[in-house]
Amino acid sequence: MPITTTRRRLLAGSAAALALPAFARAQGAVKPRLTAISQWSAGSDGAAITALGKKFEEKGGVWQHSPVPGFTTEMMNKLRAQIIAGDPPACSQLKGPEIAAWSKIAPTVDLDAVVAAAGYEKVVAPDLAKLHKPAGKWIALPLQIYSTNMLFLSKRAMDKAKADKVPVTWAEFNDLAEKMKAGGVAYPVANGGTRPDDGQKFEAALAGISPAVYRTAIMTLDEKALKAPEITAAFVQVRKIADWMDPNVGAQHFSTNLKRFVDGDMGMMIMGGWAQGVLRNAGFKFEDFMIAPGPSDNGKPVFLLNADAFIFWQRKEPDLQAGQTLMAQLVMDPAIQTMYSQITGSIPVRTDVDLSGEGWSDGQRRTAAALKEAIASNQAVLSLAHNMAQENGMTAAMIDVITEYVKNKTIKPEQAATRLAEAVESAR
Amino acid sequence: MTIAASTGRGRPATSEVVRRLPEILTIWVPLLLSAAHLIAFSLWTIWISFTPSTLVPVAGWVGLRNYSAVAASRNWQIALDNLLLFGSAFVLLSLATGLILAILLDQRIRGENLLRSIFLYPLAVSFVVTGTVWSWLLNPGLGIQKLVHDLGWTAFRFDWLIDRDMAIWTIVIAAIWQSSGFAMALFLAGLRSVDADLIKAAQIDGAGAIRMYRRVILPTLWPITITVIVIQLQFAISTFDLVRALTNGGPGIATQLPALVVYDLMFQRSLLGRGAAAAVLMLLILLAVLLPYAAWRYIQRRRAIHA
Repeated sequence: MPITTTRRRLLAGSAAALALPAFARAQGAVKPRLTAISQWSAGSDGAAITALGKKFEEKGGVWQHSPVPGFTTEMMNKLRAQIIAGDPPACSQLKGPEIAAWSKIAPTVDLDAVVAAAGYEKVVAPDLAKLHKPAGKWIALPLQIYSTNMLFLSKRAMDKAKADKVPVTWAEFNDLAEKMKAGGVAYPVANGGTRPDDGQKFEAALAGISPAVYRTAIMTLDEKALKAPEITAAFVQVRKIADWMDPNVGAQHFSTNLKRFVDGDMGMMIMGGWAQGVLRNAGFKFEDFMIAPGPSDNGKPVFLLNADAFIFWQRKEPDLQAGQTLMAQLVMDPAIQTMYSQITGSIPVRTDVDLSGEGWSDGQRRTAAALKEAIASNQAVLSLAHNMAQENGMTAAMIDVITEYVKNKTIKPEQAATRLAEAVESAR
Repeated sequence: MTIAASTGRGRPATSEVVRRLPEILTIWVPLLLSAAHLIAFSLWTIWISFTPSTLVPVAGWVGLRNYSAVAASRNWQIALDNLLLFGSAFVLLSLATGLILAILLDQRIRGENLLRSIFLYPLAVSFVVTGTVWSWLLNPGLGIQKLVHDLGWTAFRFDWLIDRDMAIWTIVIAAIWQSSGFAMALFLAGLRSVDADLIKAAQIDGAGAIRMYRRVILPTLWPITITVIVIQLQFAISTFDLVRALTNGGPGIATQLPALVVYDLMFQRSLLGRGAAAAVLMLLILLAVLLPYAAWRYIQRRRAIHA
């Protein structure tokens, strides 16, 4: 494979160039260029990727980012069209098992050399690393991490409940919800009504009850695990949560109700870390709410991983290849990850970044600490609701069952567990 | 048709072609292009529905496997039940509303033009707007229920939007609001074209208003009624934007409709083959409505020629 050899050589050369920037500049025959597509067009996501582009340009590159606003699926439609046309972007946003699925329809870049040169593998959560090297070689790089099961507590609702202790287990969570209800909080659980929102309730419940069953049932789809009593227990917990939610939200986005949450009309929110950025953007203060890892019955934090990533598509043009190498180096750079996460409210992929300095919030520090602990106790698992655990088709089949269960209170938890196992079977 | 007729008379003169050029360019070229477009893509979709395509179209043959997978899925079954309920309720109710509005407008009332515009106006609004506005009106925490509660009647309940058994009716309501004006316009045109002599004859025979409508005027409207039914039915079958904006298939998956399932399979789940199979099934449902209509039209025309 002559092409691979050339790229190898190029990557090796670039790795050397990183060590000797002056030398590289003198040698630089081509100006690195990067064509990229992502859905990040506005808000903190847009700001973050624009800042990344600036850094790319500072290093002498040409940054050509075409955002596709809207849902991830719309970005995928553009990517699909470009791949079918034989003109994929040099790099595109893609995450989770979709990386493996999409890498089968078009050739990707082997990033092993540049990843090895950066010593990156040691500082990435193992489950996460696996997703980015589906056939054993790195073809994609994670950019930032969110936990989907952070617990947000409204200060005013806590005051109403006369409580100040953050619940650690589901039993404590349920106690606090009851206290809030008794104290006059109309809806102890704040929520939206979207599919991922419902999915997050379930994954938080199951992973909090048993991360081991979550791993075997949801991540590896083990038939026996899907029939485990923990699944039913998770559905029982989801029903409790559903009973504390405002049924009127319909299909609204969770952010619609943030004011009621801060006002203490709603008490707790199980949401991804991104909600912190949304709350801050909406003008609420850190004093208005608390952030903690989601409930975990064994007391140690469970971390439901959601990570954005870039996948690199094979291109023949030397300037694009140089651009890919530069981009890969930037994405792995702790300084760049710091910059990116500080804008979006996520946490860095690298577990060796120090978050004690300025620019980080308490919530981010707590999230990063939770990730470290969760990795140590093997309780960092991949989010189902945010397409990290399974491919889109399987995810959608499972979320169908969950979202129907959340909204239809005549379905029994046992029934839901059976339906979940059936949905997995028919989607396989 | 004219071209066929002219070839019958031999080759048309060059000047004839030049004279016809605007007609050829403005009618035949777009018509042929869109027909080719429609047919080519329909055939392509049919082909895809028999392949194992997922993320991107791939060659291969899986027989009816995509079809059986779609037909067995809960989403599709719910979508079909909903289509049956939504389709019949929407068509009948919009027909009735349109007819009543048309008859009322037909009473030579003052401000008819204004009222007609108002009733027709929703048709000019995009379905996404209709869906969004109704999703606010019907939301119990924001819309009609809250308004009535604030007025003092706190026992009032109108929470169909979040009730999974009744949610499909919210789509019926919004769809009727949007399109009964259309039915009204067609019926009004029909009412106006009833032969004046017929009405006079009925009046001379001493028929009252109700009897006149029942026995004389309405029976002349039935060709229009069938046209309205067919147009509304094909709208009902392909409803997508309205339900997406109003309930997005929810609560849960209670208001799934076939078009939503197709979109979901193709673009959310990246299962192109199954999505195509669902689209072909939708086409078959549509044909089940349109073919009898076309046959009926054909028979009507034959009869008219023979008579």
